[in-house]
Amino acid sequence: MGIRFREVSYHYPQNHLQFHQAIEKISFQVSAKGEFIALVGHTGSGKSTLAQHMNALIFPTEGSVEIFGHSVTRKRNRKIRYNDLRKHVGLVFQFPEYQLFEETVEKDIIFGPLNYKVPLDEAKTIALKTLAQVGLDESYLNRNPFNLSGGEKKRVSIAGILALDPDILVLDEPTSGLDPEGKRVLMDLFQSIQFETDKTIVIITHDMDLVYQYTSRVLVMNQGKLVFDGTPEKLFRTAPLTEYQLSMPETIKVLQAINERLGLSIDIYQKTAEAAIQAIKEAVRQ
Amino acid sequence: MKNIVIGQYVPGDGFLYRLDPRTKLIAVIILMVAVFLLETIIELVVAFGLVILLLIAGKISIVRVAKGLKPLFVLLLFTFFFQILFNKEGTLLVEEILSLNPGNLGLGLLLTVLWRLLARFGKFKTILLFLWIAGIYCLLRYVAIAPQWTTFSLQIHEKGIEMSVFVVIRLLIIISLSTIMTLTTKPTDLTQGLEKLMRPLKVIGIKSDDFALIISISLRYIPTILDEANKIMAAQASRGADFSEGGLKEKIKQVISLLVPMFIIAFKRSEELADAMESRNFVPGKKRTRIHELSFGWKDAVTSVVILLCLAASITLKVIG
Repeated sequence: MGIRFREVSYHYPQNHLQFHQAIEKISFQVSAKGEFIALVGHTGSGKSTLAQHMNALIFPTEGSVEIFGHSVTRKRNRKIRYNDLRKHVGLVFQFPEYQLFEETVEKDIIFGPLNYKVPLDEAKTIALKTLAQVGLDESYLNRNPFNLSGGEKKRVSIAGILALDPDILVLDEPTSGLDPEGKRVLMDLFQSIQFETDKTIVIITHDMDLVYQYTSRVLVMNQGKLVFDGTPEKLFRTAPLTEYQLSMPETIKVLQAINERLGLSIDIYQKTAEAAIQAIKEAVRQ
Repeated sequence: MKNIVIGQYVPGDGFLYRLDPRTKLIAVIILMVAVFLLETIIELVVAFGLVILLLIAGKISIVRVAKGLKPLFVLLLFTFFFQILFNKEGTLLVEEILSLNPGNLGLGLLLTVLWRLLARFGKFKTILLFLWIAGIYCLLRYVAIAPQWTTFSLQIHEKGIEMSVFVVIRLLIIISLSTIMTLTTKPTDLTQGLEKLMRPLKVIGIKSDDFALIISISLRYIPTILDEANKIMAAQASRGADFSEGGLKEKIKQVISLLVPMFIIAFKRSEELADAMESRNFVPGKKRTRIHELSFGWKDAVTSVVILLCLAASITLKVIG
């Protein structure tokens, strides 16, 4: 189960309005449980196009995407209810403005469950639960989503997808537009959601620090091709980052600079800023 | 986003592309007046021939113009039949007695159901439509089972056929002319041309530059808003909104889930645009210069003379005829 990409290519129609990168012959697999995956790549490398294949929002031009046992190909299959596939794989878009529309947070969160014919009482219970999952208390239920702050809107939009109880949660740049502290809080939240529910989480991001610190697997896209699939350790220790148009995490960069300037030999591969400070202190003591 | 052009504009390099949009606008209006002054089919056919010559000279593919005519096909067809059936002048050519009775009503309904079923396959739609019309006609004409409810006579007159051909050719010429203009002029150039032409209207309080700005901003934002609408649809589809299924109540709910974010984003964008324009010192009503100033060259002069000759010719024909 999970999602399996088989030689998937997608080309936007010639006179299409959007200017997105096509993707070429992509094959990989995402299991339905317990993975924390980062999908990274330079702007316009085809990440979002790839993400939209994961819940059958767009159909591959070539190849097939197998989503929980259903094969999605170029041709629409009348037997598959694509809408039901989207219940298994929840996709949260970058801007919450694209999905919030109701007058209260509660109504907005239950929109998804009601679409899947969940009874109203049950949907309301789910709304309360998912709101807690994203770290907001029940006082938010009756507030107007348009009066919330950017970070709160983002959380409500994530709750709207979590309410569907998807097995795999895909988030398109969830940390964009947040300050470093806000990013950390949100990533901790994803980590705890993953820990509690054992869902697979896929995040699209540009922030290498978060990738290194939180995720267990990295997919790197470059010019429409999947060029790397492995652990973040392997990516930052061995992969040709400049070729992928990526950069090192800030902690590694700083430690590297310190080593060069002072001729020290601190282990530069520290995941968090705290660990990096600890390593520097130790070096100073010696 | 720079490659997006809304409208029918197709990049090319014929002489029509190099004309000033003002010339083209005025030329189209004058030519339309000239066409309306013509009174016989022969004159119209000659005019139509001239339009085709213009297409060839301007290196515009006739296929493309024909494609532009496609949406108006129904209108042309309607005009044609309307003239044939209801123009009762001239000598009578055909007279048929049609009747409505239980027999052909039943068969007619059956035929209609059959036609709709076949049309679902999506092929030969036009041919099927004609077959259906012919079938209904045959039923009304030849199936006569008592009791007859009503009978009516179908009359076709000489003048009717003449007028139908006349009107259809005239429509064809007019539509082709405006298609040629939109095919060869960028929407932005067209609005700029309109702005310049409407400038004298300032005297009676119409601000042509505001009007032109409104049009060019709308044109600029159509692709952006479309892009946004696609994203909103995808976002709501991810929450199980199915825009093709469900009852009326659910559909309304789903359309609202699309419209509310659309409006909010559109308002936000317009505010941002207003701020951006103001911070670049845009003051409504103040005079602005342009990057591309329109210029009236010798080509435009020649075109104007030719167009005026056309008008003079049709006025002369009208006076003599």
